[in-house]
Amino acid sequence: MNNFVFSSWNGKIVDNRKGKSPKSGHVKLPALLGNAPVAALMGWNGLVVNNAKADVVSLTLGYLRAIRKISCGECSVCMIGIDRLIDILVHMMDGKAAAADLKEMETVVKQVSLNSKCSFGQSALFPVLDAVKYYKADFIALAKGEKKLAEKDYSSVVTAPCIDACPAGVDIPGYIELVKNNKFGESLDLIRQDCILPGVVGRVCTHPCEDACVRKDMDESLAIRLLKRAAADADLREGGSALKGPVAEKDEKIAVIGAGPAGLAAAYNLRALGYGVTVFESLPHAGGMAAVGIPDYRLPTDILAHEINLIKRTGVEIKLNVRVDELNVKDLRKQGYKAVFIAVGAHQGNRMGVEGEDAGYDGYVDGVDLLRDLNLGRTITPRNRVLIVGGGNVALDCARSCARLGFKDVTILYRRSRVEMPASDEEIEGALEEGITITYLAAPVKIVAKEGTVTGVECVKMKLGKPDESGRRRPTPVKGSTFTVTTDMIIAAIGQRPDLPAVKGKDAIDVTDWGTIKADPGTCMTSIPGVFAGGDCVTGPATLIEALDMGNRVARSIDCYLQGSNPEERVSFAEVDLKAQRGRGFVVREAAGNVDCMAVGTRLEGFAEIEGGFDAAGAMEEAQRCLRCYRVVVWE
Amino acid sequence: MVTIKINGRKVKAAEGSTILENAQKLKIDIPTLCYHGDLSPFGACRLCTVEVKTNGKWQLAASCSTPVEDGMEINTESENVRESRRQAAALLYYRYPTTVAVRNMAEKLGVAVSDEAVDGHDCILCGLCVRTCREVVGVSALTFIDRGKGRDMEEPQIGFDPAACIGCGSCAWVCPTGYVTMESTGDKRIIWNKVFKMVPCAVCGKHFAPEDQLRYISRKTGVPFSELTTCVDCR
Repeated sequence: MNNFVFSSWNGKIVDNRKGKSPKSGHVKLPALLGNAPVAALMGWNGLVVNNAKADVVSLTLGYLRAIRKISCGECSVCMIGIDRLIDILVHMMDGKAAAADLKEMETVVKQVSLNSKCSFGQSALFPVLDAVKYYKADFIALAKGEKKLAEKDYSSVVTAPCIDACPAGVDIPGYIELVKNNKFGESLDLIRQDCILPGVVGRVCTHPCEDACVRKDMDESLAIRLLKRAAADADLREGGSALKGPVAEKDEKIAVIGAGPAGLAAAYNLRALGYGVTVFESLPHAGGMAAVGIPDYRLPTDILAHEINLIKRTGVEIKLNVRVDELNVKDLRKQGYKAVFIAVGAHQGNRMGVEGEDAGYDGYVDGVDLLRDLNLGRTITPRNRVLIVGGGNVALDCARSCARLGFKDVTILYRRSRVEMPASDEEIEGALEEGITITYLAAPVKIVAKEGTVTGVECVKMKLGKPDESGRRRPTPVKGSTFTVTTDMIIAAIGQRPDLPAVKGKDAIDVTDWGTIKADPGTCMTSIPGVFAGGDCVTGPATLIEALDMGNRVARSIDCYLQGSNPEERVSFAEVDLKAQRGRGFVVREAAGNVDCMAVGTRLEGFAEIEGGFDAAGAMEEAQRCLRCYRVVVWE
Repeated sequence: MVTIKINGRKVKAAEGSTILENAQKLKIDIPTLCYHGDLSPFGACRLCTVEVKTNGKWQLAASCSTPVEDGMEINTESENVRESRRQAAALLYYRYPTTVAVRNMAEKLGVAVSDEAVDGHDCILCGLCVRTCREVVGVSALTFIDRGKGRDMEEPQIGFDPAACIGCGSCAWVCPTGYVTMESTGDKRIIWNKVFKMVPCAVCGKHFAPEDQLRYISRKTGVPFSELTTCVDCR
């Protein structure tokens, strides 16, 4: 969208209506539905006209109608101001005083922008000002009766920096606002529309939303994750409300392989659409990585169990201890399953590629295996010293679990530096508080063993070179810097890959070079029609909220496949600066609310949950800080 | 204590206090519709706007919800402030043209108000009742139902939960426009269309309080219900 007639995006005016050679402003606009032609667009950050014949006056009305739905109505100026603008516009044809009307529109826009309580009110009206200013002749033509105002059905989209950053697109300002208004139940209903495990996600989410929060650049991000948890906890305190079940039953049955977050999200959403759903799970517990990959001190078992029970109560059947070793689509079809969703996750640890790794030494353990054993209640005998190799959350989970199990000396070995470490800051800080050592810029080269038992690791120092394809600086070994670390146990936690016997059967599915399943990025369908795949087994190890999002999408996709309809396209805001806004009113600086955390000494005594949650009053107070940065875009 | 400058005058202010609280102490008149000293600030009416100097730039801010900072410069009477208040009042008057409290405020702030005789009592969504119910009474029978993405109801409104209401009448008392009404006749009280049974005083026999309210007080304080059935005059 670069050859436009007019643009005021970001407040930068590019007007090609009279000029000789058209200028193309370097503005990044929402990639609206791919390459669909857009005649004109009005959004929170400006007006863009591509087609000289576009009806800017009617678009202004369409935009005002769209933003009126988002104005909450709490502070007087915003909603009444929008109403006033709509009234002026609608009645412009009757009046003769076009100049006075336009002047008043300008005054209302300025006052609402200067005096609104939230980011939405402070920013939403600027494009109206642009229209009135730069398309003045069109408005005067309307007042003279030379032009008609049309009520058109414009396309529109609502987002916010936090919503866009959330893989599942949860309506974050929406649920925060409901918490603020003491409506915890309604808040949870809103969260559940896109996130079926709110209590789990409210505890362990990596919260990219908080990084995108506009407040982050002013004082501190909203505690969004903890507010989600507050909504889930409030519900749990009252006994736990049921999930919405199907309105009408459908005849088709669907098989889901894997009861992890992706599988559960798809299963619930398909069930809610009326399908019969059976989930096959190889482990004795449902929950996938949420059940066997996250230690209890971060996510207590009963929270996950409760949320899975709610899903089961809608009629989703979960068959535990059933391992699908061979995918036989014909057989599944014979059993009545019209579609299959493979969501087996990535539960197999990667090899480190060091000498002695495959020797079967006692004391060599894989990180995901350790966490699984721990979560399934198997005994792990603590040793004196343990060395964990890796820098992700699995490495941190292993290290902090070992500290709780009674290992005396817990060290993490990471080949890059703290900046590149993929584990979340909370985890790293928690580990350091608990006395765990992190050795940066070192990697293992050989496992040293005596009589079949690990006694140490030979390591080499690393230095950082140029950034690699992941954007992080590539580590390279420092010549002659080999050193040996004495240890009684070594845990490899350098990533996971899917364990894919399920796709090796008669109906072999295409896989990638990375050992993940090939699935269409839009529909999530695999190389076999009717067989879909999603979650970690497609993406490689990713976050819980990403898995939930894929599950949600697969449910819609399977529904479209079975009903023969087309899935809705998502509007992409890639490369658009959603934080940018042209007016910013006064914002009172205020740090985020705190929750209680267990003291370090007590923490290490067991696996009890470390972090406390907000109580109702604390959550409502924190919710008050939300700037409500809703962004509306309307186009034709 | 911090030092602030209001309208050019240097004064000491308590840390954490709001601009409005300090202005009131100095007898500076700042108009408000949604403020009450005993309740948390809401910042909804946008009438208490003042100008605050931040990073060398004057910006409008709601004085009720802005805490003072050391060295803060505040102007409560600038042309920008007056115009902003007048425009906010004009919009309120535009929406609630017959509501007496709004008309009086608009007139005071320089909005041309028609002289027709009206007697309206609209809800202006100031939230005083909602905050009183939660923060003072402690029952949260009233809540805001506002709009947003996917919640596009036509108008925002106050939601009422009859099961939680104890009929105390605080909301009617605090309402600035007379929208919330309370009707007490004999052994009945009607508020938000809910009918409450009134308890007669054990001594004088006058119906003095809703039974639900006395039961709530009994539950909260541990005082037996039977000891609460005497009115204030006879105690």
